[in-house]
Amino acid sequence: MKIITTLILLINIVYAHPHTFIEVYPTITIKGNKTEKIDFIWKLDEMTSSMLIMEFDVNQNGKLDQNEQSFVYENYFSPLIDYNFYTDITVNDKIQKFPKPTNFNSFIENNRLCYSFSIEETINIKNTLLDFGDTDFFVAMILKKEFVSIKGAKGIVSDLDNDFYFGYRLEFK
Amino acid sequence: MIEWYNQLLKQIIIYQYQLNSYISSTIRSLNDDNMYETSLLILGVAFLYGLIHAAGPGHGKALVALYFTSNKSHYRKAFKMGYMISITHAFSALIFTFGIFYILKTMFRRNFNELSNIAMQISAFMIICVGLYLIYEAYKNKYNKELKIKKTNKSEYAVAFSAGVVPCPGVMTIVLFCIMLKQYFLGVLAAITMSLGMGLTISVAGILSILLNKKTSHKLDSKAYILEITGGILILILGIFLFTSVGYK
Repeated sequence: MKIITTLILLINIVYAHPHTFIEVYPTITIKGNKTEKIDFIWKLDEMTSSMLIMEFDVNQNGKLDQNEQSFVYENYFSPLIDYNFYTDITVNDKIQKFPKPTNFNSFIENNRLCYSFSIEETINIKNTLLDFGDTDFFVAMILKKEFVSIKGAKGIVSDLDNDFYFGYRLEFK
Repeated sequence: MIEWYNQLLKQIIIYQYQLNSYISSTIRSLNDDNMYETSLLILGVAFLYGLIHAAGPGHGKALVALYFTSNKSHYRKAFKMGYMISITHAFSALIFTFGIFYILKTMFRRNFNELSNIAMQISAFMIICVGLYLIYEAYKNKYNKELKIKKTNKSEYAVAFSAGVVPCPGVMTIVLFCIMLKQYFLGVLAAITMSLGMGLTISVAGILSILLNKKTSHKLDSKAYILEITGGILILILGIFLFTSVGYK
């Protein structure tokens, strides 16, 4: 039985591992214990960026023009709704549907592809958690304390205590 | 135990994130003055990156672990298989990268995802075949030890090829990055050194599985074929799991 258990446990290691690393920079504005707006900037790792920039920057002018940005939005950013934009907003232990992102912009900065977008949602920060991670384990979301900017409250960044994938948690104090 | 495993995985990912960033900035800093020393440094880091990259979860190690846990083998076979898988994995990545870059030219990421899915399906199908073959052989040869030795050579190549045929996205990314910076030769060398690192990690997974087999199989004695059949069934399940998960995507 022990052998079979060991063998079955080995199946655990079939899950994929991340090949893309995204640094997340959230800027959160809070008024009266409620969020007014959350701005996100995602910075993709340089290697993945080079692959994507080659595809997105069709006229190769080193920046993403309006039509190129529309392509990114429709083909690469919007489909991430299926993954909740790698961000779970949990309020009172219930994961909320990720609000529709606004002000999407994609740009190149220091050879890295960046996405910026906002969510304009009023969320009571009491018992609210923001978890960043990819359940498919193909993307690693990186959140460091110094990446976070909160106006009107304090935040704590910790490792996501999850048995299945790599991630970080942001909670409010 | 699970907590420890998760912490290990987390640490592996953090190291990969740091190495990935270090390699890209170092490749970008290459110039005529620092060409040799920086190239050597990149290759050394690529080896380390491969070593750590392969330490993360993956179907190759699952297959190797299941195979060696359920089949008696020598330690050198683990090295042979580890390196057969990693070299196939890296060469597949090189062919895919140069192929997509120079033949398809555009939509690298999309073509890469589509072709990777096809390769993964082929790999999953082959893993299913390997599982079925191992079950059949274990059942057929349960009393015949000589035939069993002949079987393992054939099945080892099948295991190595089925696991390695999927191109390694990690290798592809480094190679493409080098191509874009017109460092073609360095890209190929980085792919090779990265595969050497991956091979070492996969070999260690194989050695640990052989150790497990040695500890457990003598208890089964003449009923060792039960372990082989169980291994074959689990490999079959692994193949079906991979096949359906790729199809689902």
